[in-house]
Amino acid sequence: MVPSKKEALSENGRAGLLPALKDRAGREGCLNRESMSGLAGQYHLPLNEVYGVSTFYAFLPVLPTGKNIIRVCRCLPCHLKDAQAVIGSIKKELGIAPGETSGDGKFSFELVSCIGACDQAPAMMINDKLYGDLTPAGIAEILKSYA
Amino acid sequence: MAEKRIVLSKCGSIDPQDIGTYIAKGGFIAFIKARDKMKPQAIIAEIKKSGLTGRGGAGFNTGLKWELARSIKAKAKYLLCNADEGEVGTFKDKYILSNDPFGLIEGMCIAGLAIGAQQAFIYLRNEYHFLYDPLVRAVGQVREKGYLKHMDIQVFEGAGAYICGEESALMNSIEGMRGESRYKPPYPPTRGLWGLPTIINNVETLMNVPHIINNGAAWFSAMGTGRSKGTKVFSVSGDVSRPGVYELEMGSTLRELVVGLAGADDLKAVQIGGATGNILPASMLDTPLSHETYLGSGAVVALNSGRDIIDVVQNDMHFLNDESCGKCTPCREGTEVMLEIFGRLARGEGHEGDINSLDALARAMAVSSLCGLGQAAAVPVLDSLRYFYNDYIDRINQSHFLRSYLGGELFKSEEGIR
Amino acid sequence: MGNVNVNIDGRKIRVREGSTILEAATANGITIPTLCHIKGQVPSGVCRVCVVEVEGSRTMMGACHTPVAEGMVIHSKSPKVIAVRKVIVELLLTAHTGDCVNDSNAENCALHNLASDYEVGAPHFNVRNPRFYPAEESNPYVKRDMSKCILCRKCVKVCGEVVRKDVLSIGYRGFRSKVVSGFDEALTAEACRDCLKCIEHCPTGALSAPARV
Ligand SMILES: Cc1cc2nc3c(=O)[nH]c(=O)nc-3n(C[C@H](O)[C@H](O)[C@H](O)COP(=O)(O)O)c2cc1C
Ligand code: SF4
Ligand code: SF4
Ligand code: FES
Repeated sequence: MVPSKKEALSENGRAGLLPALKDRAGREGCLNRESMSGLAGQYHLPLNEVYGVSTFYAFLPVLPTGKNIIRVCRCLPCHLKDAQAVIGSIKKELGIAPGETSGDGKFSFELVSCIGACDQAPAMMINDKLYGDLTPAGIAEILKSYA
Repeated sequence: MAEKRIVLSKCGSIDPQDIGTYIAKGGFIAFIKARDKMKPQAIIAEIKKSGLTGRGGAGFNTGLKWELARSIKAKAKYLLCNADEGEVGTFKDKYILSNDPFGLIEGMCIAGLAIGAQQAFIYLRNEYHFLYDPLVRAVGQVREKGYLKHMDIQVFEGAGAYICGEESALMNSIEGMRGESRYKPPYPPTRGLWGLPTIINNVETLMNVPHIINNGAAWFSAMGTGRSKGTKVFSVSGDVSRPGVYELEMGSTLRELVVGLAGADDLKAVQIGGATGNILPASMLDTPLSHETYLGSGAVVALNSGRDIIDVVQNDMHFLNDESCGKCTPCREGTEVMLEIFGRLARGEGHEGDINSLDALARAMAVSSLCGLGQAAAVPVLDSLRYFYNDYIDRINQSHFLRSYLGGELFKSEEGIR
Repeated sequence: MGNVNVNIDGRKIRVREGSTILEAATANGITIPTLCHIKGQVPSGVCRVCVVEVEGSRTMMGACHTPVAEGMVIHSKSPKVIAVRKVIVELLLTAHTGDCVNDSNAENCALHNLASDYEVGAPHFNVRNPRFYPAEESNPYVKRDMSKCILCRKCVKVCGEVVRKDVLSIGYRGFRSKVVSGFDEALTAEACRDCLKCIEHCPTGALSAPARV
């Protein structure tokens, strides 16, 4: 993080909550109860408040996820370029439906809102990496690199 | 008409990781001029005179907004750059941040001088995480050059919520809360982040600032239309042969953009401004693009003659329903009810009453929702009803047929069981 | 602060600057319906049944949170306003899926009263998956039946800002939003004692006192 003026941030004790939640979720795969309780204590917030914030954001899972998270865009530009076929191909490769995690815990599979790669539709992200101009046939190859 | 690259003028010709290459192309001359030769009031006057308007969707006069924040006495003021870019079909800010982060930072440096902010944030959407480190490094290089003595810039990353692009939700998110919208007034320039005066500007808006300071308000306002000055950066996708980012003078027509530059043919319609954008039939291709007509975030999705408009609006509504913050009734419940209707229409289970329901819901949501998401969710629905009414009627007639047919089948098989 | 002149439903009214439209109306005997507002608390502005037309404004404005301004011309009962309120009430009835017919408290339900005032009958809207939750009777003081909840947030507000216990928050997002305690667990007896303030404010039967045995 860029060092910043302390005065600006200390205005409100909650200012660091979102980065802290993200940090925990990133390191532990999800926000488990210990993490949320710990942060609630640290920020002097009730548990329900931390839970309320966490469950608002798509990138703050409160349930365990797979080691890699596949996020396929389901918005209009990708939809027009047959994202459905790509989704079908992932389903077949992994044997799981969107919203599920593979039995071996390697992949979670989600359909998400526009990821800003509409000029390379259909597109998806695996963790933080973007894959564009997808074809159903190319999916197996990409997934293999995460095996 | 050809592209007119002003905002994008340095994209591709500098190394986005090396401030030296940006300075070699005339970078930070505007900032030094603003810092050493202009009073904050003069900067604001110049921006106001230029007619620069917000590029994030609402199109508010930028200088006017700055003036308001400047005029308020407060212990601190904030500058926020909105890099949440969640509007469906929009990727121009990503292009800018990837290719010319220094242009944005210079714009922010000048805005900071103008409004008197000591702290600024760039709110970067989580989906653009790969830009986080490069942006932090770019800010670091600017700081090393000594151009950030008056204000610090921190990159703040979102956590996956389209609504956090709405200015009040964005502030809630930075404050560590749920990214829900707030009612207005108060507006951010009077009461924003932590209750203090705050200016929120889109990436592209801020990119224009150094150019205006360098070339003058008159140069800028000579381009464009009555209320829309300068250029606009568009993101074009969908049924085109050359999808991508294009910068055109304000007031250029849809045809120039979608057909001329992006190479669409056989169009049925375009949607302008993302999932909450207008859906216009191909017969309106000669419409100029400006705040006075249609613009939004500058996302243009082309739809060819094979496309099903009801499927398109259903996809829009799916997105809006997923991304509604859930705070207010019309949007939280209305998008869900609409999605149920579109689902039935798509499955061939629609009926005439659905059109009235969609119309009544859209009209109520447009005027009673708490923020722009719920208000604008009505736009694609009302536009599709206006321009593609027959598609709805055809679908419903097909539904009647399908129902009677399936109903008969069902009846037969039930008889068979008995 | 001084006074300002406004016009509500054709009546010229002078009110203190900084009042909300709702305060100005109420002080002059004009009723505007509300479901999420608690008098004296910072407005929530979430239910939207209080919307009114303000001349010159593109959208309607929430009366509970919009401050009056000099010269404002407000219509609180125009046909347009009534039409919009009806849709909002119908949407809330659609969401309010609990079993009210067998509920002895139905006549105390502010939502049902509003629906009958505005002549909104059985809702003809549908949703794909209604918000059904099992009723929670684990707490000896508060029975929660969240299927009936219309997400007005009054309980959250009272618990946090009035009683300062803060055991309730809004969780999840959009249509799946829900009032949660802890990690979305049933309200425990340790978390919530017997102040009963939330029951007092709940506009529906979502919160009630358990039947004493
Ligand atoms: C639902 C919603 C989403 C928005 N998303 C964005 C966004 O991603 N980026 C953006 O710059 N503005 C977005 N806006 C507009 C902002 O609220 C705000 O008007 C804008 O950032 C102001 O900057 P500007 O004046 O430079 O355009 C959004 C508005 C709404 C209602
Ligand atoms: S209109 Fe939608 S996104 Fe905006 S406050 Fe209401 S529920 Fe939230
Ligand atoms: S439980 Fe009652 S008071 Fe609380 S949000 Fe739901 S309806 Fe409102
Ligand atoms: S009473 Fe004003 S929005 Fe609910």
